[in-house]
Amino acid sequence: MQPRAHRLSLNSCATLMLIPGACIALLCFVVFTAWTALISLTDSRLLPNYQIAGWLQYRRLFASDHWWTATGNFVIYTACIVSGCILLGYALALLIDRGVRWGNVYRTIFLLPLSISFVVTGLIWRWLLEPGLGAQHALREAGWTSFTFDWLVRSDRAIYTIAMASIWQHVGVAMLVFLAALRGVDLNVWKIARVDGIPSWRMYVHVITPLLRPVFATAAVLLLCTAIKTFDVVVTLTSGGPGFSSDLPARFVVELMQRQELGMAAAGACLLLAAAAAAIGPYLYIEGRRRRLA
Amino acid sequence: MQIYLWMLAFGIAGCGAREPAIETASDHPPVEVMHWLTSDRDAAALSVLREGLTARGGTWVDAPMPGAGGIGRSAVVSRIVGGNPPDVFQFSLGASLDELADQNLVAQVPPSSPDDVSLSPVVLRAASNAGRQIAIPIVIRGVNWLFYNEAVLRAAEITLPRTWPEFLSAAAKLQASGKIPLALGGQPWQERMLFNTVLLGIGGRDFYRRVYEQLDPAAIRSPTMLRIYETFAELRGYVDQNSPGRRWNQTTNLLVRGEAAFLVMGDWAKSEIIAAGLTPGKEIGCALTPAAQDAYIMMIDGFAFSPTTSPAVSAGQALFAQTLRDPAVHVPLAQEMGAIPANLAVPITGFDRCSAVALQVLQDPRTHLLDSSMNLEAGLAGAIDDAVSRFWNDRTLTPQQGHALLIATMISGG
Repeated sequence: MQPRAHRLSLNSCATLMLIPGACIALLCFVVFTAWTALISLTDSRLLPNYQIAGWLQYRRLFASDHWWTATGNFVIYTACIVSGCILLGYALALLIDRGVRWGNVYRTIFLLPLSISFVVTGLIWRWLLEPGLGAQHALREAGWTSFTFDWLVRSDRAIYTIAMASIWQHVGVAMLVFLAALRGVDLNVWKIARVDGIPSWRMYVHVITPLLRPVFATAAVLLLCTAIKTFDVVVTLTSGGPGFSSDLPARFVVELMQRQELGMAAAGACLLLAAAAAAIGPYLYIEGRRRRLA
Repeated sequence: MQIYLWMLAFGIAGCGAREPAIETASDHPPVEVMHWLTSDRDAAALSVLREGLTARGGTWVDAPMPGAGGIGRSAVVSRIVGGNPPDVFQFSLGASLDELADQNLVAQVPPSSPDDVSLSPVVLRAASNAGRQIAIPIVIRGVNWLFYNEAVLRAAEITLPRTWPEFLSAAAKLQASGKIPLALGGQPWQERMLFNTVLLGIGGRDFYRRVYEQLDPAAIRSPTMLRIYETFAELRGYVDQNSPGRRWNQTTNLLVRGEAAFLVMGDWAKSEIIAAGLTPGKEIGCALTPAAQDAYIMMIDGFAFSPTTSPAVSAGQALFAQTLRDPAVHVPLAQEMGAIPANLAVPITGFDRCSAVALQVLQDPRTHLLDSSMNLEAGLAGAIDDAVSRFWNDRTLTPQQGHALLIATMISGG
């Protein structure tokens, strides 16, 4: 009897320990989200109030140039970092998987940016890209006087500099995901290929890559979540400028808070949540179905 | 991140209420002062106030805010909504403070003593809501200052421009000589500040008031506004390539190092000039931005008081108000900050040359203008920043298109 009683108390202990965490999760993710959704339907400005104003804040948001620029940038930015990180990350993973000498060293090097804070990434890239200080300045000093790379200060290009910095930072994650998947491929597949005399590149194109399709989906979802959250890099790299040409929705929402537009900011936050749900929902659905089928 | 801070503030609203203060009027009433005067120079100025309060028997409880303006205001609002309002807090005068007052979250300022400050009617109006004064102005900050590097102007044989057309021809000459004619930090607030000085210079004082105080559609749509946009558009060509995103202090240093000739900036630029070992009014000259009529665009923060039923807190608040109103405190405070005291009836001695100019100009009440960020609701002010900044940074937009953007923002938007 004694051991059993002991196990029970351990169990209830664990439950007890989980309660605070569960409460916090519930409070943050459900109560506050619901509160934000409620506020987005009111005419709150500096102070929260509960005068329901229908879709007023959403209409005001949609009437704002700034919001649409931020949304357009978000599409460009997401496309850039999802495709950029997947292509580059997969290429790096393949190279390392082929047994390049010092493969582990390279792996560490490509993962290093991930350990750097986003704020630092933004600053480093800002110094590199500032025309009067960074790469352009250095190359001109070195004698290549016609060299121009001023994307950071051009309103039509600044968003791509943010994408570049983010790709640099996140390519390591994609690489790691692919590398793990490549290492997980059944060795027998390779043995069969060797017996049949199939060249490795054909194996990668026609067999391995199609095998890894679910891994590509995972990497895409991971990167998509990163894209939706992006805030710090914009703040340190361009602050959304020149003007607001490189702004992203997450940063604009915070700026709306500072403009004492609580309702409008809440509306923007709800739309961001909706975008995240729309991106991840289908993935969860497909995953769930596959698991049921399996 | 800030969103979560807000949520947290609201979340704890129920349980975070302040413990009842000890209800005895102690000899040393503590006053919790929330402020964003944290830069070296501002902190030195604030110590004048702190020492004044201590000398009167109060106890200063310091509560600095994480940042000025919008960030600071959010911090105050979080405290208030969280049920734990600071006794005294710094806040921008104008629409945002009015919104707090409308919800009865700001008390009337403690009654004045006979040696109360004589405030300008414009300033008093900004510090009042529904007929009661809700804040004591700290200092008057000036926005429409033109700083210039004397040596650079002398080398290019240029005299100080008095109108914007003169400024543009001087700028062309400076550009030919290889200098940056106009130092500008490409952040929306700096771009808007430049825009407002052009608006004042070309439109005049009354036009400025019609646009920003009355939101007069006729003024906003007028050909004068289009002319303002034409001049503003020409200025785009006289700013260096590295301008976007540059902070104001780095921008000021361009002028200090002699790389740039002119800078349009608020009087806080003087602190950066002094920090570089130069004297405002000597190596770096200062004048009001080119305009036909003298005018001073003022940006004013005040200290406001939270409503309270505790005698100890209100004793502390009264002591604080008495200290701040004492010319022996607020005049040195203004001088430390390089600003103008809210009480204009002070002798013009002990001020730097730029402030002396400002005090002279301010003797005429018609010159008193308020910064657009004070007159307008923060939301509309932000939308105007967007419109101005969009035009400034997108060189493909014509003055007509920029003007249309402003009309859409100020008349149909908001």
